Amino acid sequence: MPKPGHRSRSLRRVFVRTPGGESRLHYRKKKPAKARCGSCGAVLKGVASERPYKMQNMPRSRKKPQRPYGGMLCSRCMRTVIIEKERV
Amino acid sequence: MIFEIGRIAVKIAGRDAGKKCVVIDILDNNLVLIDGQTRRRKCSIVHLEPLDKVIKIKKNASNKDVVSALKKEGIECKEKAAKEKKEKSERPKKQKKKKPEKEPKKSKAAKKKEKEPKKGSEEKKAAKKDTKDKKEPKKSKEKKAETKGKPASN
Repeated sequence: MPKPGHRSRSLRRVFVRTPGGESRLHYRKKKPAKARCGSCGAVLKGVASERPYKMQNMPRSRKKPQRPYGGMLCSRCMRTVIIEKERV
Repeated sequence: MIFEIGRIAVKIAGRDAGKKCVVIDILDNNLVLIDGQTRRRKCSIVHLEPLDKVIKIKKNASNKDVVSALKKEGIECKEKAAKEKKEKSERPKKQKKKKPEKEPKKSKAAKKKEKEPKKGSEEKKAAKKDTKDKKEPKKSKEKKAETKGKPASN
């Protein structure tokens, strides 16, 4: 039996391979939810979802795509937004 | 064809999305060369949204011409500085200089000079090795002496 604090699912479980070849169970804090498109709600690709201490050390280009509305809208929705702006 | 030379368009994809550009050249059924607010580059037609304006521009027009033509239409964009090719010209020159220098030295010096520096270098190396060998044991002895001395004092 794991200790009572580890019986809840508030921590995520990670299998870690030890130097001796065993696989041990480690408990780590959960990752935040994945970013979603503001208009269609699809999961955004290329947007990192990590704990803040890891996000701090990440380069800017790994956190979100380098285009207008990057990290806010998916590429399809961004296209429609830009096209609508130009047509009006 | 919608994308003729001089057609103004908006880029829809990539980091230049939302920026305006002019078609300068048609490379392929699907590929066009563009310049303007975007970088000067070839671009797929799928990534462009055509606008209703067409300017008069020569095929493969230079960046200066494109910028001035777009200013008349009310689209401002920066001129790109021409690339300086200084580095490329310097590097091969240095290499060429080095090679001829080595060859005449060998011919002038003949065999004597080649032998002398080798001997000297060998002697120096040997001397260095000796100094190294001497230094290292000295240090170790000193350390040992210190380590020996300490517990005795304690």
